[in-house]
Amino acid sequence: MTAWLPVLPVVAPLLGAALAAVARRQVPAQRLIALVATSTQLAAAGVLLAEVWRRGPIALHVGGWPAPFGIVFAVDLLGATMAVITGVIGTAVAVYARADADAGAERDGFHPLYLALLAGVAGAFLTGDLFNLYVWFEVMLAAAIGLLLVGTRPAQLDGTLKYALLNLIGTTFFLVALGWLYGLTGTLNMADLHLRVPAVENRGAVLATAMLLLVAFGTKSAVFPLFFWLPASYHTPLASVSAVFAGLLTKVGVYALLRVFTLVFAGEGTAIQTALCWIAGATMVTGVLGAAAQQDVRRILSFHIVSQIGYMVLGLALYTPLGMVGAIFYVVHHIVVKANLFLVGGVAERLADGGDLRRMGGLYRRDGLLAVLFAVPAASLAGLPPLSGFWAKLLLLQASLAAGRWALAATALVVGLLTLYSMTKIWNEAFWKDPPEPLPAGRVSGRSRALLLGPIAALAAVTVAIGLWTQPFVALAERGAATLLDPAAYVAAVRGVAP
Amino acid sequence: MDTVYAAVAGTVTACAVYLLLDRNLVRVLLGVILLSAAVNLGIFVAGRLSRGLLPLIPPGLERLGAADVANPLSQALVLTAIVISFGLTAVLLALVLRTARDLGTLDADDLRVSEPRREEVQA
Amino acid sequence: MLATVLAVLVLAAAAPAIDRALGRCGPWLLAAVPAGIGGWYLAQLPTIASGAVMAERVPWVPSLGVDLAVLLDGLSLLFALLILGIGALVVAYAGAYMEGRSDRGRFLAFLLAFMGSMLGLVLADDVVVLFVFWELTSVTSYLLIGFDHADPRARRNALQALLVTGGGGLAMLAGFVLAAAAGGTTAVSVLTDGRDVLRASPAYPAMLALFALGAFTKSAQVPFHFWLPNAMVAPTPVSAYLHSATMVKAGLYLLARFTPALGGTEAWFWTLAAVGTATMLTGAARAVRQTDLKLVLAHTTTMALGALTLMLGLGHRYALQAFAVFLVVHAFYKGGLFMLAGAVDHETGTRDVHRLGGLARAMPITTTAAVLAGLGMIGMPPMFGFIGKESVYEAALTAHAAPALWLVAAVAANALTVVAAGMVAWGPFFGPAPRGEDAPHGHEPPLGLWLGPLVLGVLGLAFGVFHEQLAQPLLHPKVAAIAAEPLPLTLHLWGGLTPPLFASMVTLVLGIAGFRGRARLAAFGGALARVHRIHCERGYDATLAGLVRLAAWQTRTIQSGGLRDYLAVVFAAFAAAVLGTLWAAGGVRLPAGMPDVRFQEWAVAGCIAGGALATVRVRPRLAPVATVGIVGYGVGLAFAIFGAPDLAYTQFMAETLAVVILMLVLTRLPTAPRLERSPAVRRRDAAIAVACGAAVTLALWSVTAAPLDPRLTAWFAAESYLAGHGRNIVNVILVDFRGLDTMGEITVVALGGLVAVLLLGGPRRRSAGPIASVILATVTRVVFAAILLFSVWVMLRGHNEPGGGFIGGLLAASAFALYAFAAGARAARRVLRVDPIVVAGAGVATAVLSALPAVAAGRPFMTGLWWFPDLGVEAKVALGTPLLFDAGVYLAVAGTMLAVTFSLLEE
Repeated sequence: MTAWLPVLPVVAPLLGAALAAVARRQVPAQRLIALVATSTQLAAAGVLLAEVWRRGPIALHVGGWPAPFGIVFAVDLLGATMAVITGVIGTAVAVYARADADAGAERDGFHPLYLALLAGVAGAFLTGDLFNLYVWFEVMLAAAIGLLLVGTRPAQLDGTLKYALLNLIGTTFFLVALGWLYGLTGTLNMADLHLRVPAVENRGAVLATAMLLLVAFGTKSAVFPLFFWLPASYHTPLASVSAVFAGLLTKVGVYALLRVFTLVFAGEGTAIQTALCWIAGATMVTGVLGAAAQQDVRRILSFHIVSQIGYMVLGLALYTPLGMVGAIFYVVHHIVVKANLFLVGGVAERLADGGDLRRMGGLYRRDGLLAVLFAVPAASLAGLPPLSGFWAKLLLLQASLAAGRWALAATALVVGLLTLYSMTKIWNEAFWKDPPEPLPAGRVSGRSRALLLGPIAALAAVTVAIGLWTQPFVALAERGAATLLDPAAYVAAVRGVAP
Repeated sequence: MDTVYAAVAGTVTACAVYLLLDRNLVRVLLGVILLSAAVNLGIFVAGRLSRGLLPLIPPGLERLGAADVANPLSQALVLTAIVISFGLTAVLLALVLRTARDLGTLDADDLRVSEPRREEVQA
Repeated sequence: MLATVLAVLVLAAAAPAIDRALGRCGPWLLAAVPAGIGGWYLAQLPTIASGAVMAERVPWVPSLGVDLAVLLDGLSLLFALLILGIGALVVAYAGAYMEGRSDRGRFLAFLLAFMGSMLGLVLADDVVVLFVFWELTSVTSYLLIGFDHADPRARRNALQALLVTGGGGLAMLAGFVLAAAAGGTTAVSVLTDGRDVLRASPAYPAMLALFALGAFTKSAQVPFHFWLPNAMVAPTPVSAYLHSATMVKAGLYLLARFTPALGGTEAWFWTLAAVGTATMLTGAARAVRQTDLKLVLAHTTTMALGALTLMLGLGHRYALQAFAVFLVVHAFYKGGLFMLAGAVDHETGTRDVHRLGGLARAMPITTTAAVLAGLGMIGMPPMFGFIGKESVYEAALTAHAAPALWLVAAVAANALTVVAAGMVAWGPFFGPAPRGEDAPHGHEPPLGLWLGPLVLGVLGLAFGVFHEQLAQPLLHPKVAAIAAEPLPLTLHLWGGLTPPLFASMVTLVLGIAGFRGRARLAAFGGALARVHRIHCERGYDATLAGLVRLAAWQTRTIQSGGLRDYLAVVFAAFAAAVLGTLWAAGGVRLPAGMPDVRFQEWAVAGCIAGGALATVRVRPRLAPVATVGIVGYGVGLAFAIFGAPDLAYTQFMAETLAVVILMLVLTRLPTAPRLERSPAVRRRDAAIAVACGAAVTLALWSVTAAPLDPRLTAWFAAESYLAGHGRNIVNVILVDFRGLDTMGEITVVALGGLVAVLLLGGPRRRSAGPIASVILATVTRVVFAAILLFSVWVMLRGHNEPGGGFIGGLLAASAFALYAFAAGARAARRVLRVDPIVVAGAGVATAVLSALPAVAAGRPFMTGLWWFPDLGVEAKVALGTPLLFDAGVYLAVAGTMLAVTFSLLEE
């Protein structure tokens, strides 16, 4: 099974994308392919997670070539968990998109683009080769640009241009750093780099390369001061596109930070750690302040992505076991909650014919179920117990206090309060308040409603489940964090030897 | 040789960055093209330049040593990078063309549809 | 006990349905359940009174040491009885108060949800669980305050309460984390078992401050008291329940619960006593200046909370006793008075003290309840309120520091309370009835509205008269719990001519005088307020407004909307990160001496650099295309002279195509006016650009200073032919060793084509016509076929000699492009027959599928499978899945290029 399972979460959507492109004129065929591909990805990822939980890190040497000469797919608990979440979000949003993507979008090529995006994301989470990671980043970028443009209105063009340029430069930085790293060590395999980097004589060059990778992945993760592309573009495309972007794309950047700065640059403790701490704090604050100045629902949510990324970077920056657990737990929690919020935002925009809070209102009376489905992820984002966000924040609070980082802990709490303020503002303005002018009748039919609210309810249920049955998720994060901080088993699996 | 071409890569990078910061979107595009050229050259240099060697095993031989071939890995990486950046550059070109059409401008400072200039603020 | 909490929460969820189904009886049923549960808790009193505790524990998150643990001791039992008992009365009250409203069921649901959360809070034996319920009470309070959500005041005040109590809650959470770290456990009972762990910890001041923040915000202490009066915008049942009897006491509960662990120090004493006193006086003073019944009650609640805080601060046995007694006293009379205010409002339509009077005749039962509550508030014997007041004075007198201060403050506050009591309990009923046509008058309200106040009033009397039988057993365990040791209670109605009694008499006299002259008193208070100018609520508003201004400024500055600013920051970050680190960490390795460079290498280098610089300087529209081409071809030449033939071919082809596409795009763009940057901006951009260039050069110098580890190169050179069956090592790497990279690469390419078509549009009716030339047409057809065949051959031979799928695909695309130029795009499309995107997709699919046979053969994904057919030729012929893969590359590249070319031609 090791011969193909680790790669299936990538191959299924990739093949699906190619076939969907071939079936360009038959939209029903594309829908079927999409359904099959996303469910296969989810199922494969689930089985993969179970295997890794049972046996420890698994490695697939693609093409049968030994590492570090060929490419290896190295799956530890973190990677497998990320793959599962990708499958969950991918399937949920695919269902939502059935009602959200109109005929024009499907003609534009929504399905192959969407599946290719999922393939790229899964590939990034599962690969054990740094250049291969770069390739999957580029696959994601190309697919993302396409998805941003599906439906094309002028705002989309503006947002996409900024997104494309800034992200292209980000991946270019990654490529540059890759070249330098290869030039210094002679290898591209991450487990191999773990062994080779400490032996390089020129520590300064190694540190400079590490900093460049920090800039590159930081751009991808939308940290301060590199996050501009996100609030400039995330509010422009279809709601389902926003949701899958918000949930997955920035987290790939965070994952890359987690992986590279524990596996490849493990020894570079102090300078990088200092940089990460400052970045974490600044990101948390600037993100939440940015949200406070907005009036459009999706723009508010976009800035909150930035703020929450700060929390995840904080977990990494602490470099303690509890911090890593917090970071991993936070990533999982946030993916589910953020995607869900964007999906809800999309429905709210449909009902209110626009996303401007000043014009919206009365949604509580109009659609009580939607109100509840908004309240759950919003409360979770703000850290209200007993939902997933509370545990995520508690873990990070404990970790930062235990590590003596008082300022960061205080920042995290204050930003949490401001997040609560922001979510309540949306609730007050969009749901509780009456609209200044009567709104047009909703554009949401019965069948659409099931397709739109079903995935939202499912994701909300996941959030509640993580909040109430917390132990399994914490245990998962704990084991995942252990592998990150001590990659011996991971490296052994890649090299094909016993640990 | 690495030294000189490293400096060349740096020069092209500087020119590319300067162009990318221009107001005219067309020159920004030129910057993108130059940047990928610079980066590819950079990777090539990082893989170390060699004279008089090829990444080919001549007929009659079954293998060669590392000192007998040009670095094939850096070449493969650069080839992949060329193709990828080529694809993305084409997309950017089409994007700029469409932007010029629909938004009616090639001025980077005029791209204000998704982020309007004056956003009212209210508690 | 966990089951009881759950039961209430479940009841809350079912409340709307029950209310809809049972109509009038619904609220009574809903009230009966908490009453029954309260009875169960009462039945546990003997056990608790004997000194035992009841505990339950369910593991929740063992990894963090958090359990769903609950503990019933004297303190939590008392609170539980208050919560459930008063809660039952309030539910019944609410049923009558909200009669006729369609959202009554939802209101009752929120009310019960709050009840369950509050119950969980006082029972919790784990700090995390306590926090969970703490926040749940804040949330339910928000929902209840903003229940009439169409009113902007309700929304605003609900948000305010949520932010203030939520902020305090977060501070408290930090305190909890510190305490749990210091004490090694999250169990409350262990942390408060009388040891000095927390007090002795170096984090004690921080812990105290954080705990205090949580308690003070929740219990509306100065300077956080302003949210409580604003919360009066909620329906009256909410005010009666949450904002007088239960939720606002949660902060006090917290302080009481942690007294054994944190109390007893000077810091504790002075912090709580000072804040409590300030709150006590503020509340009392503001109360008498109000005209709305509920606001009077709200401010006197603040006063009471302050007094309770003061008692906890004083901390000695008389103070704890006073705390226990006064807590119950206040719950009795305040809950009752709020309900009465609501009843009066319900019947007469107003709550304005100036417009109410003489209602005693019309509402006898209500009046009785009001009298009982009022006497309790004043503290007249034989009400329990008298015992309460006496206990407070006794505690103040026996404080170990500044007894006079506390006594004077308490007397002053209580005197003002007497005035307030008069305004609320005497005035509307026995005061002069207003005349006039719009004089409000009413009749006895329905049962649900007067039952609660009457019961509470009677309890206030009964506890006073029968304090031995009723109060002692109830309060003794509570005080024991707070003090962590059994303390005898001394409650008496008459203890002789003691100083407290004297103080009570003074209070009464002052109070009655104040009531007589209350108009002048109010005016005096108003003048005083104008003088001291401290308005805590303005602080809140200013903070919020300042926050929004800061947010707006930040967004304007950072997220300016300008693409160029974003790019500048990103590149500056790049340069700073690399240059800064290289220099600071000593990583720079400058080249030693003049390098050994041949003439052609210099020439090519010069071309590349020159072309780049020229692109920057050159202005005319299409000239930069030429200079960019020079750079591209120069790089291709560099590849060629340094032994990279495949790379050179690919670069030349890609550059040519890029130039062609660039030309096509540029000619279709409108001529833009000269867009210039200002000189300052140009200087800044140049600086950033030079920094980036320097960073790249220095880094590359440093990287290439040491030799490259040849491990991978050696392996590739050894295995390419033997294991990969190919002599072109680069191609073998691309399609076999690192084929997965190529798979991703062609996906990017195909996606690019898809997006380009999306942007430029698909097949069009009208397109560029063919070039009218017979010679060209004929020649083209022949050449077209030749190039196509050549492209296939190039692909096939790539495994052993320069070539491969990419170059082949580009050649094939060129063939079609040539055809399109000559015969028109439409004709070219017809020759192709299928949509080029379909071709691209088929290419990617082929590449993926070529990797699957390996799996069927039990090998890792993408392992090359080879056959060596015997064709009777000498040379070894190898056919394998990597060749199929290369074919996929060919199709993907060709399809994409065609899609882009056709779309551009048809523009």
